[in-house]
Amino acid sequence: MEASALRRSAALVARASTRNAIRPAVCAAISNSSTSSTPPTQLQTQQTRQFSALNRPPPNYPGHVPLTRLERLGLFVGSGLISLADPRRGDLIASFAEATATPYFIYRLRDAMLSHPTGRRILRLRPRITSQSLNIPYLRSLPPNTVGRTYIDWLDREGVSPDTRSAVRYIDDEECAYVMQRYRECHDFYHALTGLPIVREGEVALKAFEFANTLLPMTGFSVFAAFTMKKSEQKRFREIYFPWAVKNGLRAKEVINVFWEEELERDVDDLRRELGVEPPPDLREIRKREREEKRRRKEMERMMSGRSGGPEDDVLQKAEKEAEVVAERVKEMKDEVVEKVGEVVGSSSMRV
Amino acid sequence: MEAVARRKAAAYVCRSCTRQFQRQLRRNYSNSAPRPDIYDVVCVGGGPAGLSLLTALRANPVTSHLRVALVEAQDLSKVKSWKLPPNKYSNRCSSLTPTSALFLDQIGAWEHLDQTRVQPYHEMQVWDGVTDARIEFDWAPGSAPVEGTTIAYMNENLNLTSGLLKRLEQLGGVSVFEGANVENITFGEEMEDLDLSQWPVVHISGGKQLTARLLVGADGANSPVRAFAGIDAKGWDYNRHGVVATLEMEGEGWGGEHTKIAYQRFLPTGPVAMLPMPGNVATLVWSTTPENASLLKSLSPKDFVAMVNAAFRLSTVDLAFMHTQGTDQDDEYSWRLQHTSFNPRAIPQTVVGVQEGTVASFPLKMRHADTYIGERVALVGDAAHTIHPLAGQGLNQGQGDVQSLVKTIEFAVTHGQDIGSIMSLESYVSERYTANHVLLGVVDKLHKLYSAGSGPLVPLRSLGLNAVNALGPLKSFFMKQAAGSGTKIF
Repeated sequence: MEASALRRSAALVARASTRNAIRPAVCAAISNSSTSSTPPTQLQTQQTRQFSALNRPPPNYPGHVPLTRLERLGLFVGSGLISLADPRRGDLIASFAEATATPYFIYRLRDAMLSHPTGRRILRLRPRITSQSLNIPYLRSLPPNTVGRTYIDWLDREGVSPDTRSAVRYIDDEECAYVMQRYRECHDFYHALTGLPIVREGEVALKAFEFANTLLPMTGFSVFAAFTMKKSEQKRFREIYFPWAVKNGLRAKEVINVFWEEELERDVDDLRRELGVEPPPDLREIRKREREEKRRRKEMERMMSGRSGGPEDDVLQKAEKEAEVVAERVKEMKDEVVEKVGEVVGSSSMRV
Repeated sequence: MEAVARRKAAAYVCRSCTRQFQRQLRRNYSNSAPRPDIYDVVCVGGGPAGLSLLTALRANPVTSHLRVALVEAQDLSKVKSWKLPPNKYSNRCSSLTPTSALFLDQIGAWEHLDQTRVQPYHEMQVWDGVTDARIEFDWAPGSAPVEGTTIAYMNENLNLTSGLLKRLEQLGGVSVFEGANVENITFGEEMEDLDLSQWPVVHISGGKQLTARLLVGADGANSPVRAFAGIDAKGWDYNRHGVVATLEMEGEGWGGEHTKIAYQRFLPTGPVAMLPMPGNVATLVWSTTPENASLLKSLSPKDFVAMVNAAFRLSTVDLAFMHTQGTDQDDEYSWRLQHTSFNPRAIPQTVVGVQEGTVASFPLKMRHADTYIGERVALVGDAAHTIHPLAGQGLNQGQGDVQSLVKTIEFAVTHGQDIGSIMSLESYVSERYTANHVLLGVVDKLHKLYSAGSGPLVPLRSLGLNAVNALGPLKSFFMKQAAGSGTKIF
């Protein structure tokens, strides 16, 4: 018994000495890849390794621009400030979205997709939404109230095209970059689903909805643009659209998991029911009604003041008054045109 | 009456004839009420704990004269002649710490184990499946204990029981009742010259009755001996199953033949461990929910292998989804592998196959008996405590119990005490109870700590793990505790 124990301990010592010889190599290989000098394998390139602007690593996907931490911070501050000052800079809003998506948020959205069978299929097939992929004439031929027809009707009403999406550049993880791209390309479908127009008011309401649903920081920051709206619009946002956005965004399933390309023939109300989204009051209708109301009120005021002059007014005075009314009407119409133009120009940049 | 007869006979009959007459008298008397079959130690249960207890008693010169019996429901000859082809391994494996191995060596059983099937390992890689926080149990230069760098030995349970049986056969002197179920345990009767009313009597199938000076319950978690002694076992079920399998790996491991590494990843559903066996073989212990366990058991070998590989590589989100799939995990795994980054040298090598018929599962629970002893009763091993397998300590706790109980019996024998009395058994329970209780508690808390998939616990536990990993002395303290070679705290 003793002899065998001795033999064993001798074997252990021998084993220990061979082990000591190989340990440094093994330790180096096992210890954290971020500190070791071993060359990164292909899989490791996505890990955050520190680098400077002078030795930028190769891109993880076509179009990718790896940023240093300082560059990322600069992008966050710069794009945030400028796009707040000038909401028409869609490119900067896109960059801002990418600069704020990491850490955590874009991974959370990716994991939400990975937890859902359809989301997983989207990530695997990686479909892109463009005017080519969608077959616009076919969508126009679909019966009304299908998802595809609602979408195309919305595009026509707002006068926009699906081909205005910039490519993702600043998200390091290749799969998360696709998630951001997908979110961007689906944005118009969210518009169609909710019926919200591309005017600033509609965009802000949709961003609030998206923030409650996707938790992407950019959508949350965009809600601050509400403070740049008119007083009456702010009031409407506060009382109608913001509560609607929070309630629906939180209650609805993750809208990122909708495979829009496969839902085109489906009844849009059916899809809304499945997702748990109820469309808000039509914003364009409300705005139109309010404008008309305003005009009617003004006209009425004018007529009242005209009548108060009395029957003894002479013709000249009457003509003068009429000219005044016409001038005022022209001014009003001019204002309306300016506002409309502003909306169209402004909205194309807001749609990000 | 006897005395009167003796006196009367003495006058007429020679002494030797008188003796014979007396003997006949006694025999007649015993025929009317059969003498009880009294053993010093009756051990119920022929598992690792029971067998090593008997081996230790027989191997120790002080206790070797004790009359001992073993009652086991299984056919032990099958266990003794257990044999598998060299490249096939049983799915029920345990880790034996160097302390347990040393004990087995002292009682002469270690050399009866098939040494080609025993695999020592020297390093451990343990990491958090949610945050990837990692602790590497490798001996830093200079910190290795003099006894060697082995953290533990992986061994098939059958190899151990078979080796113990061979050693027991070599020692001899044990009345073995195999294939015998314990039908009932009662107290003995009070007789004219012998009061057995406090002595347990084991009724086994076939009508045989064994009276025990000391009845040892090594009869597992649902111990009949414990029930007889009226000892309650407290604890809870984890609502988890341990899925085991014998795996075939692509190679011998990153450390080669001489530096084997054990791996464990804590997933929110439970830890998954891969432990090295000789050559390209590894054994799997995957604690998971009962639903996941039944899914894993239903998968084709290809999909099962994919799931095991995924369990050490993919994100918990991917794993959760793959558990909802009925099939095609293999396909899903190869897609997700392209989008998951990891350091391949820090995780086990790729699994390439699973040995047929080795995928099985068992429910996990935590139990601790209120005490290990009663009047003429002692409990060892699983009868006394059941532990979560995440630290690989279950079998070693049983060996520790046996070692302590044998020491207690030896002390009682040398000091002329009754080995069955509570007084002489007291030192056994005082030595083992707290130590086992602390270990049970620590392992239980570890399981609970790592069951959280999100929330404030996750960053905290990762911070703790990284801190221990960075603090060399603290880490080697834990390693020595796990190996059973550290200073005794309790």
